[in-house]
Amino acid sequence: MSNASRSKALQSVGMVLGLAVIAWLFYMPVHGNKAEVTTWTLLLTSVALAVNWNLTGGFTGYVDFGHAVWFGIGGYVSMILITPRSSLQAGWVPENWPIWPSIILGALAAGLVANIVGRFTLKLSGAYFSIAMLGFFVFMREVVRVSKPITNGGTSLDVNNLEIIGSANYWYYIQLSLVIALVAFSWWLRRTRFGSSLVAIREDEIGAEMRGINTTRNKVWVFTFSAFSTGLFGGMVSFQGSSIEPDTAFIEVRTIDAVMGSMLGGLGSVMGPVLGMTVLYLLRNVLWANLLDYHLLAQGVLLASIVLFLPKGIIGLFGGQTGNIRKMLGMSEREGSRTSTFDGMESSFDEDGNIREGARTTRLASEAEVEVPGI
Amino acid sequence: MSPSLSDHQVHAARPVLAAKGVVKRFGGLTAVNDVDIHVNAGEMVGMIGPNGSGKTTLFDCLSRVQEATSGSILLNGTEITRKKPHQVAHLGLSRTFQILRVYRDLTVLENMQLSVQWGKVGFVEMFRGTSKATTERAEHLIDFLLLTRLRNDRAGSLSGGQRRLLELGMALMSDPNIVLLDEATSGVNPTLIEEIKERIRILNQEQGVAFLLVEHDIRFIRDLCERVVVLNYGAKLAEGSPQQIMENNEVIEAYFGADGTEVSGSGGRV
Repeated sequence: MSNASRSKALQSVGMVLGLAVIAWLFYMPVHGNKAEVTTWTLLLTSVALAVNWNLTGGFTGYVDFGHAVWFGIGGYVSMILITPRSSLQAGWVPENWPIWPSIILGALAAGLVANIVGRFTLKLSGAYFSIAMLGFFVFMREVVRVSKPITNGGTSLDVNNLEIIGSANYWYYIQLSLVIALVAFSWWLRRTRFGSSLVAIREDEIGAEMRGINTTRNKVWVFTFSAFSTGLFGGMVSFQGSSIEPDTAFIEVRTIDAVMGSMLGGLGSVMGPVLGMTVLYLLRNVLWANLLDYHLLAQGVLLASIVLFLPKGIIGLFGGQTGNIRKMLGMSEREGSRTSTFDGMESSFDEDGNIREGARTTRLASEAEVEVPGI
Repeated sequence: MSPSLSDHQVHAARPVLAAKGVVKRFGGLTAVNDVDIHVNAGEMVGMIGPNGSGKTTLFDCLSRVQEATSGSILLNGTEITRKKPHQVAHLGLSRTFQILRVYRDLTVLENMQLSVQWGKVGFVEMFRGTSKATTERAEHLIDFLLLTRLRNDRAGSLSGGQRRLLELGMALMSDPNIVLLDEATSGVNPTLIEEIKERIRILNQEQGVAFLLVEHDIRFIRDLCERVVVLNYGAKLAEGSPQQIMENNEVIEAYFGADGTEVSGSGGRV
C-alpha cells in the first residue's frame, strides 16, 4: 500500500473511531455514576489545557512552562467577581455576578495579561522564554497569596451560594462540548495561513520575518488565545469545586501535564494532545493503583522516555508527521552541526549563526524542518 | 555581456535601495564601517570582499535582520532604519540567506505557498487557506525556476543547488522590486550556476527586479552586474564596473596579497 493511501485509510479509521468515542462520551453520563462523570470531567480539563498549550508550545514552538498561570488567573478573577469580600463590596466589584459573565471575564483577564506579558516574553527564545514564563507563574501565585484583601491570601475563596454551581453532568457536557470545539478550532487554525505562519515561526523565525510574516503579532495573538481558553477552564473548574486557593489554582502539575500529554501524543499535531493526555491519564490511574509510593518517579521516567524514544509521540508511530521535540529542546544533532553533504552542496559557513542580538541567539533551524499538518 | 552606459543612466534616476553611512558595531568590533551603498531600479549590483569583510552583516542591516548602529537606509524612498524585517519585506525587499532557510519537510510547492505577500493578506484572508492565486503564482515560479519535476518533493530531498533555486523562488513570491542574494552559488554545481544566472538575468531584464548580490564567484558577478562594490574590513574599498574592479590593485592586494598571482591560478574565483 502506498504511503498516501495508507495514511488515508488510517485517517478514515481514526475518523470512525473518533466519532464513536464522541458518541460514547455523550452517552456515558446517562449510565455513569457521579464519580465517573467527575473523573471524566477532570480528564476533559486536562485535554483542553494540553490542546491550548499545544497552540503555542507545539504549533509555534514556544514552550510555555508557566501555562497554569492562565488557569489560575481565569479562576481567581471569576471567583473574585462572584464572591465579593467586604473590602471589595465598597465599590468597584458589583455583588454576586452571574456565573457565566464571571467566567468569561476571568478568561478575558487571562487573555489580556497574556497579551501584555507575551509582548515581552515572546521576544525571548527557547529556554529563556520557558524560564520567563515559569517565573511569571511563580510571581503570580505569590501575588495572589499576598493580596489577602482581594484573594483571601493563602486560604480558599469560596462560593457562598452553592445553588448556582450546577450539577456534575452540567459541567461534564459543557466541557465535553468545549473540548470538541477546541480541537476543531485547532484543526481549522492549522489549515489557515495564520496556522502556517505559526509553523514558519517555529521552524525559522528570522526566515519567517524576512518573508513578510509579522511574527511578533502572530505569536502574541496565538498566545493570547491559548491563555484565554485556559482561563475559561480555570473559571469553570473553580466554580465546579465551589472554591479556589493558590495551591490548587496555580499548580505546576497542570503545566507539566499539558507538556507531557502533548509530547506523548505528538507535539504540534492536532490530535496529539488529546491522544497523549488520555493515555497519560489512564496510565496514571494504573500507576496510582499499583505504584502509589513511586508514581511520581514512574511519571518522570515516562517523560524522559518519551523524549528519548518517542520524539514524535503516538501520532508519529502512525506515520503522521509531527514536530520533533528533540529538535525543539535543542537536542537534535542535525540542527547544531552543519557539515558538508557528500555532494558538497552545503556550505559549512556559519556566518549568521548569531544573527540576532540579545537573548535570541539560538539558530532557529536555518535548514528548517517543518512538518506537514498532523492528523 | 556588459550593459551600455545609457542603461546605467536610466537606472541612476531612481534608487530602490539607498544606504548612507551604515555602521554596525559588535562591542569593540566594527563589522560595517560607514558604508554608502545604493541600488537603482532594475540595476544589478555585486558585492564582493574577503571572508569576514562584513558583507553578510551589511546585508543583515539592509534587510533589518540586524539593527545598524548608525546610518540611514531608504527603501523605495521610505526610511526603514526603524522598521521591522517583515515591514521591509512588505515594502518590496526580499532576501535569501547564505545558509539555506527552506522548510525541509514541506514540499517545494508548500514552501512557495508559505512565502506569500503577507503584507497584502488581510485579516479575513489570514484565516483562510492558501488562495488559488497564490498557488498559481507559486506554480508559475516553480516552472520558471525549472523545479516543475520536483514540485511535490520534500525540500529536504533537493540538492543544494535546487534548494538555492527554491529559496530564490520563495524570495520572489512576494513580488519584490529588489532582491538581496547572499551567495546564491555557494556549493552549487557549475551547470546549475549557469541556470541560476540565466534566471536572474531574465528576472532583471523582463521584470525589472533589482538585485544586490554577495558572491565569491567573480565570473558570476562579472556576467551579471554593471557595478561592483568591494568591502574590506567592513569598509568600502572600491566601487566600479567589474572590469575596473578586477584591475584595481587595492582589490587584488586585499584578496591575494601584493602580487596577485592567485587570480589566474583560481580561474577567476576569488
